[in-house]
Amino acid sequence: MIEGSNKIQVFEPHNSALPPLKPYISEFWRRREFATELSKFSDKAEYLESKLGKVWLVLNPLFLAVIYYLLVTVIQGRSAQTNSFTVLCHILIGLFTFYFAQNCILLGAQSITSGGRLILNQAFPRSLLPFSSAISAARQFLPTLPVYISIVIIGKLVFNDTQLPGFTWNYLLIPFILMLLVITSFGLSLLFATMNVYFRDTTKLLSYIMRIWLYASPVLWQPEMLTGWYRIILYLNPLGPILSANSRIWIDGMAPTLSQLIGCLFWALSSILLGGYFFISRERDFAVRI
Amino acid sequence: MPENLAVQIKDLSISYKINVESKKTLKNALMRASRGERVRTRTVEAVKNLTLDIPHGSVVGIVGANGAGKSTLMRSIAGILPPTTGRIAVNGRISTLLALGVGFNQALSGRDNIILGGLAAGMSRSEIENQTDAIAAFADLPEGFIDMPVRTYSNGMYSRVAFSVAVNMTPDILLLDEALSAGDAAFKEKSFNRMRQLCEEARTILIVSHALTSLNELCDHAIWLHKGQMLASGKPDDITEKYLKFLNVGELPSSYEDL
Repeated sequence: MIEGSNKIQVFEPHNSALPPLKPYISEFWRRREFATELSKFSDKAEYLESKLGKVWLVLNPLFLAVIYYLLVTVIQGRSAQTNSFTVLCHILIGLFTFYFAQNCILLGAQSITSGGRLILNQAFPRSLLPFSSAISAARQFLPTLPVYISIVIIGKLVFNDTQLPGFTWNYLLIPFILMLLVITSFGLSLLFATMNVYFRDTTKLLSYIMRIWLYASPVLWQPEMLTGWYRIILYLNPLGPILSANSRIWIDGMAPTLSQLIGCLFWALSSILLGGYFFISRERDFAVRI
Repeated sequence: MPENLAVQIKDLSISYKINVESKKTLKNALMRASRGERVRTRTVEAVKNLTLDIPHGSVVGIVGANGAGKSTLMRSIAGILPPTTGRIAVNGRISTLLALGVGFNQALSGRDNIILGGLAAGMSRSEIENQTDAIAAFADLPEGFIDMPVRTYSNGMYSRVAFSVAVNMTPDILLLDEALSAGDAAFKEKSFNRMRQLCEEARTILIVSHALTSLNELCDHAIWLHKGQMLASGKPDDITEKYLKFLNVGELPSSYEDL
C-alpha cells in the first residue's frame, strides 16, 4: 500500500499566491525518487541510440578541452608554455562548471512545456520536473571532474614547473561551492521554466543569453583582469562569484575571499527564493496553459 | 466529510482564461505592448455549480457532448486543476488515465515506461518493480514487445499498456477519461472484469466515455454534463437514453429547459 493512502485530500480555490509550503515540500520530498528515476530514464533514452552511450558524457568535455587548448595556444602563442597551461586549466574548470549551470537552466526551462502530458494526467509538485533536469545536468557534470583532474596531473608531470597547487585542504571547500552552484542554477531554472510556459520562445532566447552569459563570466578570462569599479561586473552576474571562487580554489589553491563568499550566498538565496516563489505561485496554472 | 463517501464535490465551479493569441511568444507580447494592445483572452466556464457525492464502491459514468466540462471535472478531482469556487474532498489514493500514453517516452521499452508511470503516480521504485511483471502480463502484448521501444507499438498496444498501468495501481479511486476503447474485444472483456473486481474491493471508478453501451454495462450511476452543468443524474440506462435522444434530436428535453 502506498504511503499517503486513506488520506483525505481537499482541493479548494487558492486565495493566496503560494500554496501551503509545508505539505508542498513534504510531497516534493516524498516523490524525490520520481525525479531521480525520470532523470535516469531520460538519460537512458537519449544515450540508448548512440553506440558510444555513456562514453559520450566523458568524450564531450574532452573534445571541448582540445578545442579550448588550441584556442589558448593560438591566442597566447607558444612562448609562455607553463603559464598557458595554467590558463587552460582555468578555462577548463570554469567551462565545465559553467556547462553544469547552462545544462541545468536549459533543460529545466523546457521541462514543464515538454512534460505536458505528465502534467495533464497527474497531480504532483511541478518543481520535480526542473529538479529532475538538475539531476541530469549533475550526472553530466560529475564525469568531467575526473577528466579535469587527470589533465592537471598529466600537465604537472609533463611541464614539471606549473603554478598549479598540489593537494590543499582548501579543496574541501569545493563541495560547498558546488552546492551553492546547484542551488543558484536550480533557482534560475525554475524562473525560466515558468517564463517558458507563458512565452514559448524563452528557450530560444535562452541559448543566446547563455552564450553572452559565458563571455560575461570569468571563464575565458580571469577575474583578476578586472580592476577597480569594473570588478562590479563579477558580482552583478549570478554565476560570477561562484565561478571566481571555484577558480580560486582549483587554480590558486586558496580559500575564497569573503566578498566572493557573500556574493555566492547572496545569489544562491536570491535565485532560489525568487525562482521558487515565481514557480510555485504559478504552477497551479500550468495545466491550463500547456 | 462522511465516512462512506469517496468524493464529495460542493458547489464546484471552474473557469479559466484562455489566450486567443496564435502564438504565445515574448516577441508577440513585446510587439503587442509596443502597439498598446492588450492580450485577447476568453474566459471559459468549464464547470458551473456542480454538487456531487460519490460513495465508495460505486462506478459512475459521465456523459456529455464535447466541451461539456467532463475532462475538466476529472482533472479537478485528480487535483490537477484547482477549483475557482467550491470545494472538492477526496478520500483515498487516486489513479488516473486522463490522457492516453502519458509520460510515455518513445525511446524506452514498455517495461521502463510502466516503471516511469508508476513512479509518476507516486509509487516507490521497489513497489512498482514488484508489480511490473503483473502489469506486463495484464497488457499481454505480442511476444517480446514489452521489452521493445514504445515507438514500435501499434496504437492498440500503446493504450493497452497505459490502461494496464492505471488499473493495476490498486487505486482507491480510478479516474478514466476516454480509455474504454483500448484494445480489442478480448482485452475489453479483461479490463471490464478488472474494473468489476476493483468495485468489489470497495474502490471507486469514474468513467468519462462516449461508449454508452459499455457505460450501461459497467456503471451503477451516471451523470450527464451539459455546458458545465449537471443536467441529470441517475440510473445509467435512463441517463444514456435521455442523452442519446438529445444527441439525435439536438435539443434538450423540455424538463431541462429552465436550467
